[in-house]
Order: sequence, then structure tokens, then C-alpha cells
Amino acid sequence: MTLTRRALLSTAMTLALFSATQVQADSADGDALNKMTWDQVVELAKGGTVNWFMWGGADNINQYVSDYVGGILKDEYGITLNRVGLTDTVEAVNIVLGEKESGVMDKGSVDMIWINGENYRTMKQGGLAYCGYTGLLPNNALINWDNPAIANDFGVPVDGCEVPWSKAQFAFAHDSAKTPNPPKSIPELIGWIKANPGQFTYPAPPDFNGAVFVRHVFYHVAGGSQNLLGEFDQARYDEVATKTWALLNELEPFLWREGQTYPNSIAQMNELFANAEVALNFNYEPSQFGLAVQAGTYPETTRSYGLADGTIGNTNYTIIPFNSPNKAAALVLQNVLLSGEAQYEKARPEVWGTSAAIEISRTSPEIQAQFASIVTPVSVVSAEELGKNALPELQAGWISAIEQGWIANVAQK
Amino acid sequence: MSDRMRIMLLLAPAMLIIVVLFFGGLAAGLMRSFNYMPVIGLTRPNLEAYAAVFTSREFYLSFLLTFHIAFTSTVISSVLAIGAALLLRRSFIGKSVINFLFQLNLTVPHIVGAIGILYLFSQSGSFARLGYHWGLIAKPGDFPALVFDPYAIGIILQYVWKEIPFIGVIVLANMQAIGQDYESVARSLGASRWQAFRHVLLPLIFPGVLSASVMVFAFTFGAYEIPALLGQNYPAALPVLAYRKYTDVDLAARPEAMAMAIVIAVLSAVMIYLYLRMSRRKIRG
Amino acid sequence: MGPDPFAMRAFRILTGVLLIVWLVLPLVPLAIWSFARGWRFPDLLPQEWSLKAWSYALSDTSGVVDSLGLTIGISLGVTVLSILVGVPAGRALGLYQFRGKQAVELMILAPTIVPGIAVALGIHSVFIALGLTNTIPGVMLVHLVPTLPYMVLVMAGIFANFDPSYEAQARSLGAGPVQTFWYITLPAILPGIIVGGMFAFLVSWSQYILTLLIGGGRVVTLPLLLFNFAASGRNDITGAIGMIYILPGLLILLVTARHLSGQNGAAGGFGRL
Repeated sequence: MTLTRRALLSTAMTLALFSATQVQADSADGDALNKMTWDQVVELAKGGTVNWFMWGGADNINQYVSDYVGGILKDEYGITLNRVGLTDTVEAVNIVLGEKESGVMDKGSVDMIWINGENYRTMKQGGLAYCGYTGLLPNNALINWDNPAIANDFGVPVDGCEVPWSKAQFAFAHDSAKTPNPPKSIPELIGWIKANPGQFTYPAPPDFNGAVFVRHVFYHVAGGSQNLLGEFDQARYDEVATKTWALLNELEPFLWREGQTYPNSIAQMNELFANAEVALNFNYEPSQFGLAVQAGTYPETTRSYGLADGTIGNTNYTIIPFNSPNKAAALVLQNVLLSGEAQYEKARPEVWGTSAAIEISRTSPEIQAQFASIVTPVSVVSAEELGKNALPELQAGWISAIEQGWIANVAQK
Repeated sequence: MSDRMRIMLLLAPAMLIIVVLFFGGLAAGLMRSFNYMPVIGLTRPNLEAYAAVFTSREFYLSFLLTFHIAFTSTVISSVLAIGAALLLRRSFIGKSVINFLFQLNLTVPHIVGAIGILYLFSQSGSFARLGYHWGLIAKPGDFPALVFDPYAIGIILQYVWKEIPFIGVIVLANMQAIGQDYESVARSLGASRWQAFRHVLLPLIFPGVLSASVMVFAFTFGAYEIPALLGQNYPAALPVLAYRKYTDVDLAARPEAMAMAIVIAVLSAVMIYLYLRMSRRKIRG
Repeated sequence: MGPDPFAMRAFRILTGVLLIVWLVLPLVPLAIWSFARGWRFPDLLPQEWSLKAWSYALSDTSGVVDSLGLTIGISLGVTVLSILVGVPAGRALGLYQFRGKQAVELMILAPTIVPGIAVALGIHSVFIALGLTNTIPGVMLVHLVPTLPYMVLVMAGIFANFDPSYEAQARSLGAGPVQTFWYITLPAILPGIIVGGMFAFLVSWSQYILTLLIGGGRVVTLPLLLFNFAASGRNDITGAIGMIYILPGLLILLVTARHLSGQNGAAGGFGRL
């Protein structure tokens, strides 16, 4: 190639590169986006990238996001999805926080976070979220914002700062071959633990699943979740907490390893259950049990169930940080996630098996038929079954207090 | 160019990196541990974070555990490494295999070894399953708790596994540099094998063992990933505790984490200084 | 020394065998897991075998292959940087005596005494301000902190045994500085460069907490990936990634093994603390 042709080629490439980055830089301005039409947003996002930070501990979810969702983004919108796996969602929140502290206002490294609960509260209170855009998304019409369980994230109003993605409800699991009659309520569980020493444990908070288990015990001691709704009440908390810690400490000698240590994470607990070191397991995502049986990790005789006195459920969301430079692409991604097709795909047990966050009745007849045709594996308790006894999550103030309280009063004693 | 000039130029890049990154990092951590963060408006340094650290029972328990891990791992690895080096300096069948495996072990990162130890020694691990097959245990709970246990046995096993070759390679190099002449002389003068080792060889290799074991102690004291994988939940090793506080959703925990990090740094330096002084005295005495 | 009595020989052989088994043992369950489809207590070997873990690990979704390339790139880069910075520093410490030498030595060796986490938290805030967090150059820079001391230590040991008069001779015979370095100095210090480079590569290769903090989860090196899968209980994938992870180190060892046998002063440089 002659020198001049080379120079021309490299100039052309540089210009192309420059214009490509120009497209990306422009969608950092959230206010400007709010005034556009959806078609303009899609056009703006074309050719760009979106960096989605999410918990990466389940490879089935990773595959769904990277392959299925990423494929749609690439093929239909020309957007590259970069999934960033985290061990804990708080890592992403810390990144955004650190960037805000250092004055990084429009070149943030995070475009979207899979989030709910305390992490959402941190972002909302810290002014870290991009808000007020949800009306822009066509699939926003599929969301039932009148449902308080969706309009509030652990008691904190969503206020247009995030968009639902999935629903989850806590369930227990047992090996029906080894433990044919598991306890089906918290009081029954307490009696069962004492009668079967060394067969039960729970991951130490702040592990997500361990923490929600402790909340179930807290609800039981309080005489029901209805007594705990609303803003954090120190007096009420102290009253219930003292009795809860006493109960959990009383149970300690009957737990695995006599309660001298607790599993660090739900993954460790899964391992214990898989190897029959403990007889019961639980998870906020019961579909995980089905997947584990499919992968051969759990025995085929694994079955899951809810509790007679109800189990806690939540909605989880996706949020866009205030300083994301790729907001347009993030909006397109959120719209795809909310679509009937994507929600159906992740409801399929072979893929993820998790409940839809949209109103299925608002989707097209074809999609509704597809949802109706889903067959839950025998090892997984169905979402409707669980949904009959759903308990709400408390406001984030209660949750951090209970977490800290457990660490101070049960772990450290 | 004068010698002094030359020396300064040669040292400049390395010193720049060390001063800016290492000491700069320490300084930045120190400032933040005093709650001094001008970016978000905290301009009054205070000792709150340190007070929180030093009044925390969890901190002391973590420190004791971490010290125990570092000390025990270092002692066991050093002793066994010397033994292994003694073994390896003579020719025998399989020596090249062991030499190779020693060096192979050097290239295996700690995380891999830790995971391996987990799969071997957990209550449902390979050894437990062997125990079951030999009728020694009936269920996983019967197997002794070697990982996630209060004595950090699994963690120490992993460090010993990795550090014996590390110290061994250094000691072996020293032994081969020293040669066998001194011991031969001692033996010919009537000393027993043990005496020749204890009073002739050992003092000669001691400086090498010392430096290697100092590095091992510092590493095992401050490593994060191994206790994170194999350690129990409470008390956790000090680096795990510091990282947990740093990534806590509650931002008030950050200066505490920095304070803990500074305390770890100071404690390591002090312990190693004392260790070196006591040993140097031993060398001279 | 006289020939070994039988008891001594038997002891040596037994210890040797135990040592061999002990050194290889932790890698065995990892390898088995990578081919297992579920492996529950009390099975000594998996009931079902499968290649699913390997196919996932080598697929595009898992990002393992990309991570492998990234980690190799970072470690090589760090090695080259360590050599470029460490050789001159080692020369200064090995050949010269000067006032403040002990202080300089202590400063350069300080990172081996002070645990990484103590410095990493502070470095993190400095890097945020410099815009180096979540970047590959940032990760490479922070890797230099633990690798540089080893490199300097080894090179100082080599230079201590190096006779600079050869260089002077070559210069007096008319050789330029580059020629002198290439034909006189380099061959003499090459064993040190290889051993130091190997240590630098391995230290960077196995870095976890520094990469996690500075890379912010955006720079996904193999140890991060491995830790994530291990912590989330996917033992089969962990096994596969683990096997992939130890491969480059093994290859490097095969190439540089003879330099570690102790016949040169390189490894002995560690005695200089």
C-alpha cells in the first residue's frame, strides 16, 4: 500500500472511531434524553456499548444475559452488551459512589446495576441514580405500578428511579429421600432443629440469603410482619430483637458445628446441602434448586416448599447511575428486559425459571400462551404456590438494623 | 558522571514507583483513616476510626487469629523446608522429580491451592469420603473440622503447602552455594551428622532462612483470598475484616477500614522488626 | 560424607514419596471436578462424567479465554516493566556502597513486609483521583508494587557477584555503551533477569486483592474469575478454570527450570535481607 493510501485509510479509521465515540459521549445527558422520542433514543444508542454490573454467581443467569439479551441488543439494536459480574452488588454501588466523590460526573464506568433493597436505598439517598425517564420506555406500559410491591423497593418508593426486572420469593428445600417430613413453618422448624442436632444452619448475614432467613425468625417473634411495617421504629425493634437473638442463641448448640461457625455464603450452604451435611436448604430463588438438580449437584429427590406462615418475597430492579455515559443504550436494554419475550425466556425453567415482573395479562396473546405452557420441574415449588403466602420485605432501615444486630448479638457471642 | 549521580539515576525509576505508589498509598490511607476527606467536605481529622477499631472485640480476636496463622505457618514451613532442602541436595532416585514438583508448586497460585485444600479436607471432601469407605466415619459431621474452623487448620495447611517449596528453593540455593566442605571438615574432626548440621550448616544458611521466613510471615499475615475461601466467619482474618468494612454499604465504615489497614501495616512492620532483631542477635551470639 | 546406611536411605525414599504426593495432591480433586457432573459425598469418584464444565469454560459466554489473554498480557507487561525498572536499581544496590543505602534497601523491600491490603485501600483512593481505577494500566502499575522488590532483590544479588572491570575493559577497547551492555553485562546478569522475571510474572499472575480493588471488577483476570466460581459453589467450572489457570505458569517453569537449581547466585540473592 502506498504511503498516501495508508495515510488516507488511517485518517478515515480515526474519523470513524471519533464519530463512534461521539455517539456514546452524547448519551450521558439524562435531561436531554428525557425530552426525546423513543425512536430518537434507539437511534442515539446504535453502535454503542452498555456496561451492566450484576451479581455473577449463577452461570445460567450469566448465559441468559450475555447470550440471549446480548444477542437481541446486538442483532436488533447494534448495541454491545458488556456484562460485568460481581460477587456482591454493593461493589457497583461503591464504584458509583467513589466516582461521585471524585467528581466523575459524566464518564462513569457503570451504566446499569441489578439492584434492590439496601443498595437501592443507598443510591437513591445519595443522589446516585438517573430518575424520571421510565415513561419513555414503550414496555413501561406492561408494568403494574399500582402494585405496592412493585412501586416500592423494600418500602422505599421507586419514584421513577429504577425499573423492575424479576420477582423472587424465599423457599426451602429438602431431600425427600433422606428427610421425608421437613418442618413447614418457623415454629415447626425451631422444634425440628432441637430434635435433629447438627442438621441445620444458615449463612451468616450480611449474606443475602442468610439475612432473609433471620428476618423470617424476626417476623415470627414479632407475631407477624404486619406489626413491623412502616418506618424503622427503634423501640419496636429493640423489643423484638432481644427476643430474636435469645431464640437464635438458644438454637446455636443444635446447629451444624454447634453454631461455632456459620457458612460464609449461600454457596457454602449449597455445598453442605449437596453433600448431606445439612438436611435443609433455602434460597430466595427457588429455581436454583431445579438447576442444581439438572446439573447433578443435588440429588434427584430434592423437593422445595414454602412455609405455612408465609415466606418473604421481593421484586428486584435495574437502575441507571447518574453518571452513566451510555444512558440511551441502557434505556434500550431496560426496554428489552421488560419485553414479554425476554420475561418469558427467563421464566423458562431450563433458562432461569424466575417469575415475571410485568403483568402477563398486558402482553400479547401469543406471549400469554407461552407463559401458560411453562412446566415447573418437580423439584421446584411453583411461583403461584409460593405466592399464596407471600410476606413483604421491610423498609431498609429495619433490614440493616437486623443485620447489624445479628452480627453483634449472635455471631459475636 | 560522578558515582553519586549515576547511583541516583539508576535508582530513580524504582524509587519513584515505590515512593508514589507504596508510600503514597499508605499516606492516602492514613489521611482517610483520620476521617480527613476534603472531597466530600470532611476537613477535621479525628481519631474516631481508630477508637472504633481498638474498642472492637472483633478486631482483637481477628488479630490473634491472623497472628496465629502467620506464626504457625511460618514456623512449620521453615522447619520442613530446611528438611526438604537437606533431602534434596543429595542425589537419589526421584530427586529430579521432586525438584520439578517443588518448582511446579511455586507456579501454582495460592487460590488454586486453597480450592484444592478445600476439596480435600472439608467434611465432605476427599479424605472424608475415604474415611467413610474405610468405615471410620458415618456422616460428614463425624469428620474433624479442618476448614472453616477456629484454629484455621485448612488455611495453615495451604500456606505450608505453598511455602515449603518457596523457602526450600532459597535454602537449597544457599546450601549449594555454600557447598559441603565445611561439614566435611567438621565430620572429619569427629562431629556427628546432627552436630555438623546444627553448628556448621545451620548458622550458614540462617540468613537465607530468615529473609525467606520474614517474607512468608508478612505474606501469610496480610493475604486476603485464602482466609476468604477457607476461613470461618467470625472471627475472620484481619485482611478479610478490613475488606469487609471497606465494602460495607454503610460509608462510615470506610475510615474504620483504612484505620485497620494502617494498623495491619504498622503491626507487620513492628513484628518483623522485632523478629529480625531477635534473630540477628542469635546470629551474632 | 560416607554412603547412606539403609535406614537413612529408606527414610529418604519414604519422605521423597510423601513429598511428591503432597505436592501434587491439591490439584487432583480440581482436575477430577472439571470432568464431573455432580460429585456428592460419599462417592470417591464422580458417578457421572461430563465435558460440560470445559465447554462452558472455553465458550465465549464465560469469558474465561478472554480473561486468560488479559491476565497473560498484564503479567507480561508487569514483568517487562519490573525488569526495566529493577535491573538498574539492582545494579545500584549490588555494585555500590553509598550513604543511605540501607534506607533505600529498606524502602524498596518494604512492600514485601507490609501486606498488600494495607496499601491497596490507600492506593485505591489515589488512583480514583488519577482516573486509573478500572483500567488495565492502573492494574499493571499497582502490580509493580509487590513485584519490584523481588526483581530488585534478585538483581542486587546477581550484581553483587558481577565484576564491573570487564565492562571497563570493553570500554577501554573501544566498545560503545550499548555494545558493552549487550555483549558483556547482559549475558552475565541474564540468569538473574530470568529468575527475577519469573518471580515477577508469578506474583502478578496470582494477584487477587490488588486487581479486585484497583480493577474494580472491570479488569477481570483469571484469579478473579476463579474466586467467583469457587465462592459460588460451581465446583466443576472451578476445576476447569483452575486447570487452565495453572497452565501458563507450568509452561514458564519448563522454559526456565534450570535456572532455579541454585547453580547461580540468583536465588541466593534472597539471603541479602
